[in-house]
Amino acid sequence: MNAPTHHAGGRVNRRSFLALTGAVAAGGDALAQGTPKRGGMLRLSAQQNPSSLNPQTGNSGSDHVVLYPIYDSLVEWDYATLQAKPGLAVKWAYPDPTTLVLTIRDGVMFHDGTKCDGAAVRYNLLRAKNDERSNVKSDLATVDDITAAGQTVTLKLKAPDSALPLILSDRAGMISSPRAMEEHGRDYDRRPVGTGAMKFVSWADNERVVLTKNEGYWKKDRPLQDGMVFQIITELQTGLRSVTAGQNDLVYYLVPQQKQLIERARNVSSAVGPSLLCVHAYFNYGRAPLDNVKVRQALNYAVDREEFNKATHGGIAETTSTILPRSHWACATEFSGHFTYDPDRARKLLAEGGHPNGIDILGIGYAEQLQVQQQEVLIEQMRRAGIRLRWERYTGPPTPTAFFAEKKGDLLLAPWTGRPDPSLTYQLVFGAGSYFNAGRGEGAAGLTEALLASRASDDLAERKEAFHKLQKIVTDNALHLPLLFRPELTAYGPRVKGYKPNLLGKPKFEDVWLEG
Amino acid sequence: MFAAFPRLLLVGRRMVQIIPVIVLATFVVFGLLKLVPGDLAATLAGEYATEERVAQIRAEYGLDDPLLVQYGRWLLNAIQLDLSRSFQSNEPVLDQILHRFPTTMLLVCGALLISLTVGIPLGILAATRAGSRLDMVVTSISSFGVALPNFWLAMILVATLSLSWGWFPATGAVRFTSDPQGAIWHAVLPSIALAAGGIAEVVRQLRSALIEILSSQYVRTLYAKGLSPSAILWKHGLKNVAVTLLTVIGLLASRLLGGAVVIEAVFAIPGMGSMVVRAAIVKDFPVVQGVVFTMVILVICINLIIDVLYTVVDPRVSLK
Repeated sequence: MNAPTHHAGGRVNRRSFLALTGAVAAGGDALAQGTPKRGGMLRLSAQQNPSSLNPQTGNSGSDHVVLYPIYDSLVEWDYATLQAKPGLAVKWAYPDPTTLVLTIRDGVMFHDGTKCDGAAVRYNLLRAKNDERSNVKSDLATVDDITAAGQTVTLKLKAPDSALPLILSDRAGMISSPRAMEEHGRDYDRRPVGTGAMKFVSWADNERVVLTKNEGYWKKDRPLQDGMVFQIITELQTGLRSVTAGQNDLVYYLVPQQKQLIERARNVSSAVGPSLLCVHAYFNYGRAPLDNVKVRQALNYAVDREEFNKATHGGIAETTSTILPRSHWACATEFSGHFTYDPDRARKLLAEGGHPNGIDILGIGYAEQLQVQQQEVLIEQMRRAGIRLRWERYTGPPTPTAFFAEKKGDLLLAPWTGRPDPSLTYQLVFGAGSYFNAGRGEGAAGLTEALLASRASDDLAERKEAFHKLQKIVTDNALHLPLLFRPELTAYGPRVKGYKPNLLGKPKFEDVWLEG
Repeated sequence: MFAAFPRLLLVGRRMVQIIPVIVLATFVVFGLLKLVPGDLAATLAGEYATEERVAQIRAEYGLDDPLLVQYGRWLLNAIQLDLSRSFQSNEPVLDQILHRFPTTMLLVCGALLISLTVGIPLGILAATRAGSRLDMVVTSISSFGVALPNFWLAMILVATLSLSWGWFPATGAVRFTSDPQGAIWHAVLPSIALAAGGIAEVVRQLRSALIEILSSQYVRTLYAKGLSPSAILWKHGLKNVAVTLLTVIGLLASRLLGGAVVIEAVFAIPGMGSMVVRAAIVKDFPVVQGVVFTMVILVICINLIIDVLYTVVDPRVSLK
């Protein structure tokens, strides 16, 4: 099982990539490489400066990689399956459908020496739910009241919500020191204090984040490194060069086009892992022309996903018609290949939708090179179906703001980075009133009920059935334009051992050790 | 008092003249930034912000005020060396600039030094052997240097000298104050890449100026008087091209400051160039404005120094 996700040479194609994702899903210790050793600074090339090191106020999906070592979350997840497992909460239970009781691990201390108990957890959850700067309010929307007694925290819910344990494995469940938050106020964004394996040392904006090991960490035999340095290198090619030259140990979030460069480099290995990162186009179906289901379906049939994959991702991505990859437990695989390339059908649907002479669509997109390449491919493919697609481009954070907040354009081509619990993905992308639903309205009849149903039971089989119904509504109504799942490509030098990709696609380094 | 120190007078006069230049340059950049599409307040507010929160941010940063009011407020603070705080990190912009300024200056000074130490001897060689094969080789190389994109040269240098041979670091920078030797070591490759165009520029300008001097009548007279060619070159030729050389150095320094933006990106150097690029992408206007302000001051200072040096090397240049 060692070989599949590890590559020090040899090409990766889509078939082998799917095998790799299967391997990760089935395995766990796929990359075990001897006995872990302690010591050394792990030097990482990170593409983005963190938006904040306060988990509640950050808004970038790439922050997690820096947040994971600093903070423990209440719940953790299994690398291969994303099933919930104990974190700071040793156990949790639903004594009734609208009550969740968490038992917090005893003896855990924050980096500032204060105790992590039920009161600290309550403080964090209340702040996540109510603070005006919180970006995770919607994650805890079903929570009505929070009480704490000793190491026990009780969440009273407005409605049954089985998604909460995995929601608490994400930003909302990352626990900060209440004392530090109170002391530093807004500056806490840059002076984080958690209970994690690494303590914060410094953050030079757009330059580096330095962490040092937490000597009193509660997990046995962790941390393995003396510290971590995240060097902010925005150019991925430069980041890869820094690993090739031995200046950094590891670079993550590489693009598939860089796989061949890694293969040619000496002393650099790569790991290709599955990812929930779905490259898709969000629709604004709150207004014409995408309020018309025929038009939305036409867009979906107008795209040749395999060709798109080859042209933009070297053919190694997993094409899709859904928002979850096939290897995910909640994926309704019946719909994964639903939209096949059929420009004639797309034209027919357009005619049925009142556009016999084709249609003009305005897309919002990023101005970065690889994004523009994707946009150009879509222009050409849609042209064959009579869809005249043109793009308005922005750089960086103003891009999603233009579409979601300023309501510009009919669609937005951007990745969705995924969430540990699938119900949150569906809720955030399609739910009525969600920020990522540009129209804010209910996209299809029965969607809200289906969303609630997906969180009503904590039985996995029942939830899977609920997600099947939910995906059917999304697919039948073509609420977005799913294209593919981008694999998580990581390159690392010879010192790095024990790196394991995970299904979420956001790298964790707790099992990584350095040799030599 | 100034009459007794004419150069001081020149500096004072120039200082007064630069005020409208600073105001104009920063106002143009300020105006251009406001033309960038997108609602800044909505971007800053984040994903789940209410309309009230967006309005609160707009009021907090004064984004609702007229352009002139916003600019006036910024300029007034800038005069007092308060360049505001970064929208993204909330850190004082001046601190960020001061943190990165030495790194960029090391790069620029290194490139300028390489340009002059390589360019001047080559220019003299080409001029003193005008029309020879050596002249043709030097001229061709300098033409190639002008046409060579410095980011391409940077990548070739990294691929060979760093990745293949391991002589130099491929990326990053070390602060000069913490490790001077390491800082210089890290700056070698980026400085060479940045200097390529500068070398060519110095060679071409120096060669043509020196050829013109050496073919002038007074030089012919000097030959007739029996002066040796080396004496003519060093005592008369080079002294007379000093003004041209100073002009080239002034222009070159300004251009190297601009070129550092690209080189810093290729080598992942945390300098002012990479800072302004990132700030522009995320609409961190105070940082963009602060860096532009610093750059303008820097370029003006360089020009001022060059103006003063003109009067030193050539007494014909009027101090008035």
